Amino acid sequence: MSMTLEAYKELEAVVGERNISNKPWVLAGNRARTPEYPFEYHSPDAIILPGCTEEVQEIVRICNRHRICFVVTVSGASVDAYANRGDTVLIDLRRMNRIVEINEEDRYAVIEPGVRHVQLYPELRKKGFTYVTAAVGPGGSVLANYTSTSGDNHNQHGASRANRYLLGVEMVTPEGEILRTGSLQTGSGWFCPDGPGPGLRGLIKGFFGSHGQMGIITRAAIALNPCKGPREIRTEGHSPHQHIYLDSECSKVRVFNYKSLDDVREAMLRIGEAEIGSTVMKFFYLTLAVMMTDSANEFHKLWPRIRRELPMPLVVHLATESPEEMAYEEGILNDIVEETGGVRIAPDLENWWNEHMDFFMVVSVLQRTLRLGGGWMPIKLGADSVSHIVEVGKSISEFIYDYTDTGKIFDAPENFQIVPMEYGHFAHIELLFMYDRTDPNSGKNVAEFRKTSRYTDLKHHYHAETLGCLNETTELLGPLYCNYHLWMRALKNAFDPENLANPILKE
Amino acid sequence: MWYPETTEHLSEIIRKACETGAGLVPLSSGPPHLHGASVNPEAETVCFEKMNRILKIDRKNRYARVEAGVSFGTLLPALAEHGLRANHPFLPRAGKSVAASMLEREAVLVPKYQYDYTDPLLTAEVVYGTGDVFRTGSAAGPGPVEELKADMVCPWGPGSIDFLRFLCGAQGTMGFVTWTTLKTEIRPSESELYFIEAEEPEVLSKLAAKLLFKRVPDDCIILNAIAFSAAFSEDTRQENLMREKTARWIMICRISGYERRPQERIRIYSGYLKDIAASYSLRQGTTLSGAEGLETFIDSRLDDCDRSDVYWKLRRGRVREILFLCPPSRAGLLTKMLEERTKVLPRENVGIIIQPQVQGRAFRIECDLFHSESEKEMFENCALEGEKALFAAGAYFDRPYGKLPSLVYQTDPVGVQALKKVKSVFDPKGILNPGKLCF
Repeated sequence: MSMTLEAYKELEAVVGERNISNKPWVLAGNRARTPEYPFEYHSPDAIILPGCTEEVQEIVRICNRHRICFVVTVSGASVDAYANRGDTVLIDLRRMNRIVEINEEDRYAVIEPGVRHVQLYPELRKKGFTYVTAAVGPGGSVLANYTSTSGDNHNQHGASRANRYLLGVEMVTPEGEILRTGSLQTGSGWFCPDGPGPGLRGLIKGFFGSHGQMGIITRAAIALNPCKGPREIRTEGHSPHQHIYLDSECSKVRVFNYKSLDDVREAMLRIGEAEIGSTVMKFFYLTLAVMMTDSANEFHKLWPRIRRELPMPLVVHLATESPEEMAYEEGILNDIVEETGGVRIAPDLENWWNEHMDFFMVVSVLQRTLRLGGGWMPIKLGADSVSHIVEVGKSISEFIYDYTDTGKIFDAPENFQIVPMEYGHFAHIELLFMYDRTDPNSGKNVAEFRKTSRYTDLKHHYHAETLGCLNETTELLGPLYCNYHLWMRALKNAFDPENLANPILKE
Repeated sequence: MWYPETTEHLSEIIRKACETGAGLVPLSSGPPHLHGASVNPEAETVCFEKMNRILKIDRKNRYARVEAGVSFGTLLPALAEHGLRANHPFLPRAGKSVAASMLEREAVLVPKYQYDYTDPLLTAEVVYGTGDVFRTGSAAGPGPVEELKADMVCPWGPGSIDFLRFLCGAQGTMGFVTWTTLKTEIRPSESELYFIEAEEPEVLSKLAAKLLFKRVPDDCIILNAIAFSAAFSEDTRQENLMREKTARWIMICRISGYERRPQERIRIYSGYLKDIAASYSLRQGTTLSGAEGLETFIDSRLDDCDRSDVYWKLRRGRVREILFLCPPSRAGLLTKMLEERTKVLPRENVGIIIQPQVQGRAFRIECDLFHSESEKEMFENCALEGEKALFAAGAYFDRPYGKLPSLVYQTDPVGVQALKKVKSVFDPKGILNPGKLCF
């Protein structure tokens, strides 16, 4: 440990001795948990758990005085949320877990970073609201989904990506100032993310979040959408065999299989033009088979059938205000499916969704995707028009067989999802694959597969790559994307001249 | 005065200004200029009238790409030919630049299509104060724009910065935009126009929020009798007659059907409108007392810009606008305050428009003080006093023009400092529209 005792004592004075530790076994337990990733694994010098914005501010100021790097963590799902060098303090925000306000009239909720989906979703549903919920499972931080990750979600066809719903934000800057964005700046409340004049909200999140490189977000307001269907959800059984039902004549799930991606694209665009449907998505069929089963043996039993009967499933959830509207939407959907060559899947398979309506809320069976080998990774994750993203999807077959046929990764050719948003104005793609974490070559194989996927997109001039915060990949890709890395770096330098806030790039 | 014709030409102009330190101000709309953002005595004007091409209209993917000099007068009929519509402001002047309107976050008529305050703006190409060219969102790359296969419609990024948001509301202080991509929507095949009358605005703003929560209407706007009669009359005589006959407050609400089963949709959604209006003890009608026979004219005005010789807000010569945002819970209160504050002025000179935005989660309130040249000082003083009082009461002046920046930025030194840091990155010499906002 290189942190001085003086610095440690100053930090301890902010949060109290119960909320800070430099014990080696505690620090070792707070290292990144993905040894197969090419990442510099360090224990932090200390882990500290602030309880409020002012404590975060004080911690950041102490770090600045002593020139200590700081990394913020809450869900801990990303390697960027861990120390990547020495002289680093890990700031864990889990104690900041209050739902500060639910404003029903103005349709927003103000939350702290430690608020989990399992905490917020039921509170809102009881009041007739929902929000766009990334499929990260109930334990994920809501705020992190809105500010730091993609924010893509299963319901974005009839809604949008989380970016659209992030309102006023309170953030501690890398130099320890409390910055408020949008209407908060002038004391007008949380409702608006932008202005006065240019929006400082631009610093908070672009396509992805900055993973703490531009500051630590301590509170944020998110916009709420209406919840269609009953406020109470009926459940049966116990985990992992729980069933979750939405008993409503205004809620119907229909799943169709398609033979070509061109037909899927046509269906998506026509459904979007008609402005019907709450969820429309081409879902991963291999992942689906994993989610549908309780064990690896069951998966292998089911997989041949899934592969045969729904290799290209289009999942549609119709959620309406009235049975009359349901008949209207269903009529249009049936017309479109007929025109585009979709075939409704067997009732027993389709019924899986009716028994797992959490799929459209907070996905509770996501961890099952880890079952086959323990390794799991989503790549691409870019977004553009539905038409463009379908072209990206088609190009996957150019390279995937080299990896699946040789066992380097575990995947299937069409195992990607395309989820339109804003009624088909854009769509995102996610290529999901699994791998054996115990295989010593898995890290190398994963890196090679990612690289091939990326180079295929670059070769075709497709916009599908994950463009995230400042890191080595950003430096590599930046020149191909209007030198965005240089502008990001200049902004980072302006706000963090000492390069202390999660300095992922080596100096 | 500079007249760039290409991005490269603009870049050259800006690079030269960097060397000489000359200030530059962008001008993309035709006259009249109401807010003064494009007027700067400390700068040379860069006029975009030669960058006026519609670069693309894509019916299938529902977007258009236009250069900065393209006006509503040009774009709206071109979109209609492709079966599309823009989510545009209420009766903009024909010469208003589409790009400037979106960059200024002007209110739009169809709030259900607005997911975010920057909607319908998707991506932009910009030349920063260094002369460097940049493209936002999925327009960034990979590779040069001529080779890029993307439709360039994804607004976010690239990377972890939302570059587009720095350009919005910036009045050209962060960079000069050369083209923008905007979201367009399917043109309704059929629609039904409804009017809902009330004596007070609050009940209508509550109704609008509720309707938008359920995504019922397409176009939705609330006007007082003065704004209504100014907007929907063709001359002063007709305006005066209409003003006296119509209700104090009117909500216009249009319900549309698209290409599939349009009548069925209109019937179902009209039923929702009726039920929700009834829950507020209000009734919707397809005719409006005081404006009988004008329904078709009103309907057509909603789809177009104002192409008359004298812009509808300028029949008395001048207009002073008070523009602010508020959440639904404050709309009624702040509108009442606005009425109180402008009581010293003749009633017929005070038009008020309340527009639900971002799917009903906020309201853009606009007060138009119509006056003559000789009345300018009195109206300006009244507006300034009103703005101070409204600001103190929580009105959010997100687009501060004229003297407003000193009011809105005074309370937030940290925010101002942050904006100056952003400005120092994109315009290190401070040559772009110098002196505006807090710069």
